[in-house]
Amino acid sequence: MGDATKRLLQRLIRRTRIQMLKTTLEKWDRLTLAQRQSMVFIQSKSAITEKLLSICEVLMLLVLLWFHCLLDVMDNPNQGMWYAFRLMDPEDDAHSVELMQFKEQFKSLLHELVRHVSVKIKKHADEAIWIRIAWGDGFSQPNHLKPTYVVHYLQTPFVFVTSITSKQKPLLSQALTVSTRHQDLKNANLSGRKLTAIRDLLMQQYPQVFPTNFPGHTAENNQMESNPRRVKEQAGLEADRLRMAHKAFGDGMLPELESAVYELETKFNGHANGTMTDREQPFRCVVKFTSTNLLESLRQCASSGIVSTVTPLFSSIPRSGKNYFVITNKSHGSSSKTSNITEPQILDSKD
Amino acid sequence: MFKFVSGFYCSIVNMERGHSSGVKTPPTRGVVQKSKNKTYQQSYRSCLRASSRFALTPALTARRLNTSRRAPRLHNITEKVRPEHLDILMKTEWKLAYVTPLYQFRHTQLQSYSRQLSEFIAAEKQQGLAVEVEGLQSSFRVSFSVVPGMTEADDDAETVLIQIHSKPMFARQDKPQKPVWSGWLTCINGNPDYLQSLPQDFICLPLFGSSGSEVLTRLVQSWFQQTFDCCFGCLEISETCLHWLAALWTNCHSESSIQRLKLIWTIPVKPVLQVTYTVNPQDAWDLWSDIRKEPGEENEGEDGRSVDIEEVTRFIQGLKNHFYKHFKLDLSAGPLQQVSTALGSAKYSGRIKISSSRYMITTLTLLTEGALLKMPI
Repeated sequence: MGDATKRLLQRLIRRTRIQMLKTTLEKWDRLTLAQRQSMVFIQSKSAITEKLLSICEVLMLLVLLWFHCLLDVMDNPNQGMWYAFRLMDPEDDAHSVELMQFKEQFKSLLHELVRHVSVKIKKHADEAIWIRIAWGDGFSQPNHLKPTYVVHYLQTPFVFVTSITSKQKPLLSQALTVSTRHQDLKNANLSGRKLTAIRDLLMQQYPQVFPTNFPGHTAENNQMESNPRRVKEQAGLEADRLRMAHKAFGDGMLPELESAVYELETKFNGHANGTMTDREQPFRCVVKFTSTNLLESLRQCASSGIVSTVTPLFSSIPRSGKNYFVITNKSHGSSSKTSNITEPQILDSKD
Repeated sequence: MFKFVSGFYCSIVNMERGHSSGVKTPPTRGVVQKSKNKTYQQSYRSCLRASSRFALTPALTARRLNTSRRAPRLHNITEKVRPEHLDILMKTEWKLAYVTPLYQFRHTQLQSYSRQLSEFIAAEKQQGLAVEVEGLQSSFRVSFSVVPGMTEADDDAETVLIQIHSKPMFARQDKPQKPVWSGWLTCINGNPDYLQSLPQDFICLPLFGSSGSEVLTRLVQSWFQQTFDCCFGCLEISETCLHWLAALWTNCHSESSIQRLKLIWTIPVKPVLQVTYTVNPQDAWDLWSDIRKEPGEENEGEDGRSVDIEEVTRFIQGLKNHFYKHFKLDLSAGPLQQVSTALGSAKYSGRIKISSSRYMITTLTLLTEGALLKMPI
């Protein structure tokens, strides 16, 4: 039990809120009732650290704290940047994977791949499996200050990951695919700060009240039916805009997605004359939309008329559950576009 | 035509000279401030009105910004201005303000100004007016200096740099003072007709940039107001000005890479939608040179041809149209907030960062023009 471990414990305690620390300690059954009660009145974190060190082994404390960190993130999942992934090509027995089997296999696989790694797995109330991985390598001990969190729903292809580097991703991918009986782990091109939002969007779990059929009148035949007075026409247009907005984004609450990115590599179509429109090469630009609730903003744009029609580029966010798109022309000369998705780079986000 | 216009100024100048000499300098400055500001401003606006009346430019645009300007040439500013000064000007994002002409400001008395301003700050601090951040800072050392070479036209007054150094009250004695605030006053390519129309006792340095705590900015401004009978006001960088910067920076791409052309709009819906439009530098340049090449313009040697507001508008409109084609969203629905390239960034809120010394003069010329226009009537 070196000084390094002791220092790590102190750093972990420093990062934890004192109230959270106390509630965790109160529930911890390795302490006697008297020991637990003695903690209640301690005011400072350093005093708690001293007291804990005097009554139990450092290693045991670390176990407690790792566990606690996992709980902390489970309770406040909207921190850091979450990236969505999808497990591909399930094997025949993929649907029969159960928790204990998954736990064992995942842990042993990861330990085989990385020499120093610490894995904690816990099942959440809503069937989600939470995995906390502290990575080390051949020479260094696991870094508990920059853990990766993985959330997976068993028997579904959905995986959500936060704080992972490009080096660690293949390792996680291998361990996950084997232990869930799949062939591949693919980027789902969806990311956001709010885990709940991107989960709801990807798993289509938010109340989607998409009206399926519309009364077949548009602004034009509305005019035809009634006296085409200005007021009526306006009302008709407004109703049309609302219908358009609801058709694309539904009626209810929308998941709080913060951004959508489009990489456009399409022919330039900006002004009538000039050689720019004739040139073969695409015009390259990146457009990013940001808002505290992007889908709500877009719905507002549609219903207020700022967006004249909801293009497939916008409606495919809720429909396909993605927020990163690469847009290219299918072939030069034709105006139809395909959303050709390439894998966005995953960056190591800070916690 | 030009002669006629300048004749018009002369009459204004004469009028003004007569006015100020008649009044002399009364002891109470507050009264003078109002009347003076009014007359100068009238003269500046009337300059513009005159030019718009006689030149064939639409009155509205002429009153905003020049409708055409010379394409930014490579300025060898590094030969004229000392590198340490350039370093200070380039590393920071500046908050802009306009300043009305300074009464009896002398470039020769900067040392005395340094002393006066530090005393002023110390006195204000003791009154407890500014307690927030600087509560712990005991002494302030102010230094005024001229930035030699930071002028362009003959009528431009020399740029003045102000730096405030301080150290925390409880710092050790041997620790050096740290710069806590800096600011400058400049005039680059100011309208010569206007500058010449000013009475002799006035120095026009209309563009003020500051970086550091707001409290110190306010103190420096109020010292200037008391000492030189001037007034300060917020200077936003207007949408047209942002368009100009986007185009002028893009125009430089062939000489110095802009890396990207980034434009940010906010669309007024609830919650607010922000659109960040980042264009590949080469493609932005291609579009710009395509617009520059369009027929109807005679090419008189690549470097010499001036950039016209119509080209700028067409460039921005082209980008907006391309965007509209994909998203059916008209970017004119919301204000343009920010333009940035590797050469600099400018925000509507009046913050500017100039990252390349080569295009500093061009940028400051545009901003000087904006500052002169923003002065109250």
